Amino acid sequence: MGKHHLGEFEEIVMLTVAILHGEAYGVSIIEEIETRLDRSVSMGALQTVLKRLEDKGYLTSELGEATSVRGGKRKRFFVITNLGKETLKAAKEQRMGLWNAIPDFA
Amino acid sequence: MNNRQSSPSGLFLAFFRWFCDPRIVDDIEGDLLERFETRASQKGQRLANRLFIKDVLLLFRPGIIRSFKGYQKLNYYDMFLHNLTITFRNFLKHKASLAINLIGLTSGLTCVLLIYLWVNDELSVDQFHTNKDNLYHVMSNHTDASGIFTWKGTPGLLLEEIQVQVPEVKLATAYTDPHEYTISTEGENQRSMKVQGSFASKDFLKVFTYPLLQGNKEEVLKTNSEALITESLAERMFPNESAIGKTIQWHFRGKETGFIVTGILENIPDQSSAQFEILLPWNYYHDELIEYKQWGNFYARITTVTEEGADIAATSKKIDTIFKANLEGTNTEMFLTSYPDLYLRGKFQNGQKAGGRIEYVKIVSFVAILILLIACINFVNLATAKASQRMKEIGVKKSMGATKSSLAWQFLTESIMLSIFGLLISGLLAWLLLPEFNLITGKQLSMNLSWPFIRLSLIIVLLVGLLAGSYPAIYLSNLKALSILKGVKLANASGGLGRKFLVVFQFTLSTILIVSVLVIFRQMEFIKTKNLGYNRDNLVYFEREGTLTDQSEAFVGELKNIVGVENAAMSGFMVGGMNSTGGVDWDGKTEKDQIQFWEYNSGTDQLGLLGLELLEGHDFTEEFANNKEGVIFNETAIKAMGMEDPIGKTIQHYTGPRQIVGIVKDFTIGSIHDQVEPAMFLYNPEATHFIMARIKAGTVATTMPKIEALYERFNPEFPFKPIFVDQDYQALYASEQRIAELSKYFAILAIIISCLGLFGLTAYTTERRLKEISIRKVLGSGTWNIVALLTRQFSLLVCIAIIIALPVSYWAASQWLNDYAYKIDLNWWFFGLAGLLTLVIAWFTVASQTLKTARLNPATNLRNE
Repeated sequence: MGKHHLGEFEEIVMLTVAILHGEAYGVSIIEEIETRLDRSVSMGALQTVLKRLEDKGYLTSELGEATSVRGGKRKRFFVITNLGKETLKAAKEQRMGLWNAIPDFA
Repeated sequence: MNNRQSSPSGLFLAFFRWFCDPRIVDDIEGDLLERFETRASQKGQRLANRLFIKDVLLLFRPGIIRSFKGYQKLNYYDMFLHNLTITFRNFLKHKASLAINLIGLTSGLTCVLLIYLWVNDELSVDQFHTNKDNLYHVMSNHTDASGIFTWKGTPGLLLEEIQVQVPEVKLATAYTDPHEYTISTEGENQRSMKVQGSFASKDFLKVFTYPLLQGNKEEVLKTNSEALITESLAERMFPNESAIGKTIQWHFRGKETGFIVTGILENIPDQSSAQFEILLPWNYYHDELIEYKQWGNFYARITTVTEEGADIAATSKKIDTIFKANLEGTNTEMFLTSYPDLYLRGKFQNGQKAGGRIEYVKIVSFVAILILLIACINFVNLATAKASQRMKEIGVKKSMGATKSSLAWQFLTESIMLSIFGLLISGLLAWLLLPEFNLITGKQLSMNLSWPFIRLSLIIVLLVGLLAGSYPAIYLSNLKALSILKGVKLANASGGLGRKFLVVFQFTLSTILIVSVLVIFRQMEFIKTKNLGYNRDNLVYFEREGTLTDQSEAFVGELKNIVGVENAAMSGFMVGGMNSTGGVDWDGKTEKDQIQFWEYNSGTDQLGLLGLELLEGHDFTEEFANNKEGVIFNETAIKAMGMEDPIGKTIQHYTGPRQIVGIVKDFTIGSIHDQVEPAMFLYNPEATHFIMARIKAGTVATTMPKIEALYERFNPEFPFKPIFVDQDYQALYASEQRIAELSKYFAILAIIISCLGLFGLTAYTTERRLKEISIRKVLGSGTWNIVALLTRQFSLLVCIAIIIALPVSYWAASQWLNDYAYKIDLNWWFFGLAGLLTLVIAWFTVASQTLKTARLNPATNLRNE
């Protein structure tokens, strides 16, 4: 149980990566979170979380093609791994279990 | 989009590139730039730039900051273990050189650790007094024909005058030097013992810091009949009961005086120069024991606490003025000197400070530091020489991809570990040797691991380790792998000269120390055997007290009857003298003739007992009735007074007229540091302190119990404590004896370390010349030829060292001997012997190496070419 624990922000980042489906890289993730959740995210916070999730094996990354914009630097695209998907599902089920256990919630 | 215009702050971009983990730097930088570009177009350049800076700063966090340990993550722990393994294998492989290296370092370190403890202890003597910065002792300079004699004594009357008339003096106390007294408990089952005691006036405990465990500091020592005793004495006198309020009987010349214990002192610390167990009131001493309360009688010791920042010279002047106003026409001057300084700097010459123990402290610490220095340089030297044997290892490691810094680290850890190992061993050694060292130095040192002590040793060790490791670490790790493996020899111009210099330096020091040991031991031998003018062999004395005060005639009579006792008498003789007086007048005495005479009270036939040689006249023996009015002088006294045909002349002693009845040949009064001074014997058996007896040679062991039995019959309640005159005489030279012992160890150490250094040098050079030697052998050179070839260079170095050392040691030895009025001549053979000894030791050291090298089969060394 403990192994699969996801922090709140971690969960959001993983969900966003899943939403973007192959188009997830630093700036796009931030923008997606900002537009969908109306929540400002610093690049430092995001990059540390991405690194941590990658270390845990929930995400993998791949460098994209170099372009002329962004100073010619390549983008690092993130994709959810199977382990990541399972963890997300487990997290969701836990939440659902909790919701369902509430007797009466107006 | 114009890139020029829209580039973000270069400084922060550079900062980001610097701190960011290189594996992710590219894509994050891309992200940063993309965001910046978007923002710049939407919100303007300046705001975008500010947000960019914010982004960069927020990225500065763990997980994104690069690891500082290098691009590739090496396994440092395993590497360290690997280096350790190699270190230990190396140690095991070169056991001999390891041992040599460690012996040198540990002996040097041990020596320094012990000396550090000793010096620290010496420097802390009398430093525990809280008033130490303002603690001044009143000293007196006595000027007479022979010069100025400086003394700790002052007239007791001065105390009150100082307290009243000198505002700069906050507190002043008068006291006596500690002396051995007999005390006992009251009533039945008397328990009596001999203890060191002083008389002290009421402010004594405020001036000096001797804390009271029980009793009131403000109240004690005010009356005539109280005593303060130390905790340990209280425990011995009154075991398991409170000592406060108990009476202590103090025995003096057959009288008993009761003192009530009003306070318990903490035991006097070892760091106090004054050691006593009982304090008695100064008032009693002054009222009851001082018959001549005069300004010319210097029976008191006065120490003052001056006001903060007082002008000491002016205060001295004031005290001197008071003294001179009370004693007109005196040639004596009073002055103040720092009390805590007296222990180390208590020697005065011609009224000026002239060092004292501090000289020994300085010499000893200097030699100790020299020894440590040599040991350290040696260690560095040997380690360096050994490192060149590991060229192949370095080559292989380098070609496997070891970096310069990892090799440097390996050598550094190795040498630092070795030196720390050395420190541990020497700590252990110092601990083991401490009891022995305490015996030599007469101290109670202990190894308390204080922080400065640990810090000092750690600094030394790290420094030595770093130095020793730095040559291989920096130089060898810098070489090209290819050239090492090809077998290119090291260029070695620089190392050679340094090593040679070191050998000369070491052997110079060793030779100087050998000469010193020879000279010191010869002088000590001379002191022990010198004819002092009296015969001190088998001469024993003990105090006249209890019933011996009034029944001493009978006691001496019975004492003489004991088989084994040659002669006995009541005696006032003491090595070093007890009283000195200027109160003697004679016909023709002028203003200039201020002579201090040593004054001895004498019983019947005392001179005969001492074995003093009478030149003229007679001893105080029974057949002469006029003994009471007689005086006997020594030659020097007669000469100083300028008398001719002195027998029968009358002089005025401060106690009345005396007729000169005899003249004795000069004898040594104190130690032979000093010339013979004028002395006189007065017939006054009642005032003599001791009973003295000469025991037949070889019967001391059997005779002493008989004397003790006799003593116990007369004086059952007093402890019998006989002292041999010879012991007293030897005790005068205790510090010289200590220095003699220490110098012996120093010399041995210096020789050992020097030999190790030489050994290292030989090992290094012979190895470098292996090929040359092999070729010489092939061409027909004999073993002894080669030994001579190899030895020549070292012999030259050692000879240079000896040539440098001899004048230095001659100078040092004559300086040291100058302190003695009677001394040995500096024979040439001291220096010859020392030089020869050094050379032989050096040859012996080199021989093992050179012989081994010379016997090698040349084929083994030439095969590879």
